[in-house]
Amino acid sequence: MLPLDDVKVVDFMWALAGPGTTRTLADYGATVVRIESANRVDGARTVGPFLDNKPAHDGSGLFGTYNAGKLGLALDLNKPQARGVVLDLVRWADVVCESFSPKAMRAWRLDYESLREVKPDLIMLSSCLMGQTGPMSKFIGFGNMAAAVAGFYHLCGWPDRPPSGPFGAYTDYIAPRFGAISVLAALDYRRRTGQGQYIDQSQAESALHFLTPALLECAANARIEQGIGNADPNYAPHGVYPALGDDRWIAITCKTDQQWRSLCTVMDRGNLASHQAFATLAMRHQNRDQLDHIISEWTRGLTAHDAEVLLQQSGIPASAVQDSNDVSHDPQLAARRYLAEIEHPVCGKTVVEGPRFLLSRTPAMIARPAPSVGGDNQHVVETILGYDQDRISELVAAGVLG
Amino acid sequence: MLNPYRVLDLTTERGLLCGQILADLGADVIKVEPPGGSPARRLAPFYQDVPDPNRSIYWWAYNRNKRSITLNLETDEGRELLYRLAASSHFLIESDNPGHLATRRLGYSDLAACNRELIYVSITPFGQDGPKATYADSDLVILAAGGPLLLGGDEDRPPLRVSVPQAYLHASADAATGALVAHHERVRSGLGQHVDVSAQQSVTIATQANNLAYRLHADEARRMAGGVKLGSLRVPLVWRAKDGYVTLGFLFGRQLGMFSQRLMNYLHELGICDAATRDKDWIAYGALLLSGKEPMAEYERVVGLIAEFAANRTKAELLSAALERGLLIAPITTMDEVLQSPQLQSRQYWQLLEHPELGRSFPYPGPFARFSAAPIAYRRRPPLVGEHNRELYVSELGLTEGTFADFARRGVI
Repeated sequence: MLPLDDVKVVDFMWALAGPGTTRTLADYGATVVRIESANRVDGARTVGPFLDNKPAHDGSGLFGTYNAGKLGLALDLNKPQARGVVLDLVRWADVVCESFSPKAMRAWRLDYESLREVKPDLIMLSSCLMGQTGPMSKFIGFGNMAAAVAGFYHLCGWPDRPPSGPFGAYTDYIAPRFGAISVLAALDYRRRTGQGQYIDQSQAESALHFLTPALLECAANARIEQGIGNADPNYAPHGVYPALGDDRWIAITCKTDQQWRSLCTVMDRGNLASHQAFATLAMRHQNRDQLDHIISEWTRGLTAHDAEVLLQQSGIPASAVQDSNDVSHDPQLAARRYLAEIEHPVCGKTVVEGPRFLLSRTPAMIARPAPSVGGDNQHVVETILGYDQDRISELVAAGVLG
Repeated sequence: MLNPYRVLDLTTERGLLCGQILADLGADVIKVEPPGGSPARRLAPFYQDVPDPNRSIYWWAYNRNKRSITLNLETDEGRELLYRLAASSHFLIESDNPGHLATRRLGYSDLAACNRELIYVSITPFGQDGPKATYADSDLVILAAGGPLLLGGDEDRPPLRVSVPQAYLHASADAATGALVAHHERVRSGLGQHVDVSAQQSVTIATQANNLAYRLHADEARRMAGGVKLGSLRVPLVWRAKDGYVTLGFLFGRQLGMFSQRLMNYLHELGICDAATRDKDWIAYGALLLSGKEPMAEYERVVGLIAEFAANRTKAELLSAALERGLLIAPITTMDEVLQSPQLQSRQYWQLLEHPELGRSFPYPGPFARFSAAPIAYRRRPPLVGEHNRELYVSELGLTEGTFADFARRGVI
């Protein structure tokens, strides 16, 4: 038995920040019915990487990863009869999750106040960029934009250049965890009190918890942090150095003076260890350019993986800066089954990311690949909702079921 | 919301956020620190730059709502006290290297033997087992090993991380999720288990599935200054505004092209572009560029017009245009601007916590989500070293004053 196999979820989420939440619930056994419009498919289906580099709605590795384990129901929510189907699903469910902009669910009369009329102890999670209220509640867009507004861009860059920003829709990597945590805590609360509730998640507000030291530094010390390259106030050396090959790099950190001395030995530059200019963290910070130059001279002659092994053998924190090929062959990630092969009914054998954490006694399971648009229509309306054939034909004829 | 539960938080400087999430949700989280305080208290920045275990801003950031006790786990008596605490706890979180606590008879199996319901959460750099499980780590090293590092930064410089360490925050958030999944199962089975979190695996989420490219035989995204390279197409995301920078999405395709259409309509209204430019097929534009039907120089010309549009407007002007017209534009915000954000202020996001010993209050980032039935409350500022020793050891665990004083004198607590 999987931990959450008694949990039933109706999932109106799309893109990444929302579906990441329900993917975790599905990994651990929740039944997740994902509602998607056949007229306007989830944008994540149009973003790569694509299987065999061919853009296709079922071939997106991004969509495939965020939606593995879920059932797919295609509903045209703009048709009046769709509402009845949704309400039947809500009666069946424990949790409703949605990640539209704030007005959408109200427009369909599927907001929390409406839904709790049919399901008084419902738990509902609404997740959007800036939250359900406030002057920016109607701010639309993607996680890269919430990341800019939250301050991640300004904190990722070189001091002599415009901000670089982290890769992709950064707040979409953070919000799903807080979404799943919120739902799980609310389920426990409901079990003990009988009470459901509404959860308003601002993805930006969740993500700010990943910047708390910089926010407090600004509030308490009136100091505005910005991107400082790969430097770190607590450690030196601390950087990314060139290795043999095209765009190959090795990341190295010395957390202690001992690790610095070990690095000198590994580089066969033992004399540096006693050099006044690098003796303490403060000195190494002061002479960082010179330090980085010396280390680069050494790393340049080695492959990133050889350097990693040499350094780690001496207890120095180091890793090759891994690309997709490296990660696919990383024995550590393989030992944790990070990448999972799965058979997709439309595109055949494909690969998704596995569950990101491991439970010893009740491990996760990827029960099925991400659904095609409406791939589980029949199962959902017949088995879960118990509709008879006449009702189903009616819904199909009316264009409600895509 | 989690008020009935007690959590022992043994984490070092890694993994502190996990316990804070549970504490925000109402759990009684006891930070167990070595005598003298957690190593996290030695990390900069410090309040007014005075290095002191009670002034580390890094510590403040991730220990609110917790109580603190000190306990020397290197001693038999210290371990006995921990067993007693664990017997009445629901969760234990730790972030030592694999095997570190087991060699001190404090591993999962040792503690499960005294409380089979205990959920034991381990946050480590690479996981409990495997060929790299004993690797030395840092935030930067984990980001390199998990994939996201290569994707960040400017193409003519080394890959770049976010200057505020992120790896263990990803791991901590996964750990809190895992703890609550295990808890849901425990309600039914009456049994705890071991939650094994690898920071390397947790940060893979920040590649946006780009890690799959090799196995899917797909193109990999490559880093580019303030944007991303997709094949031969350079997609800029950072643009200069009059008073700083904004992100602006000039993107194509069935769903994103409409945003570019709105932007070009606006540029035409402003007289920045002509009608022919406005009326290009912005849905199909990406495909037209990649097939060569539209020359790259033409794309560069339009990018130049957009750059001019952004550079002549302030971040606030660009944001209000985005809100009015549904454009993909967001200001690149500095920390002081975040603290002054009208959006966050209107939602009363900031929570003032008083640090009475400093005579000051500081605004902490507010609830990570708003719960209608059981809202998150900020009940305690981050604790001083061992602030709750007496409360916990004497009042709650029932040590006599004599034993308590003796343990304190001999450095057990």
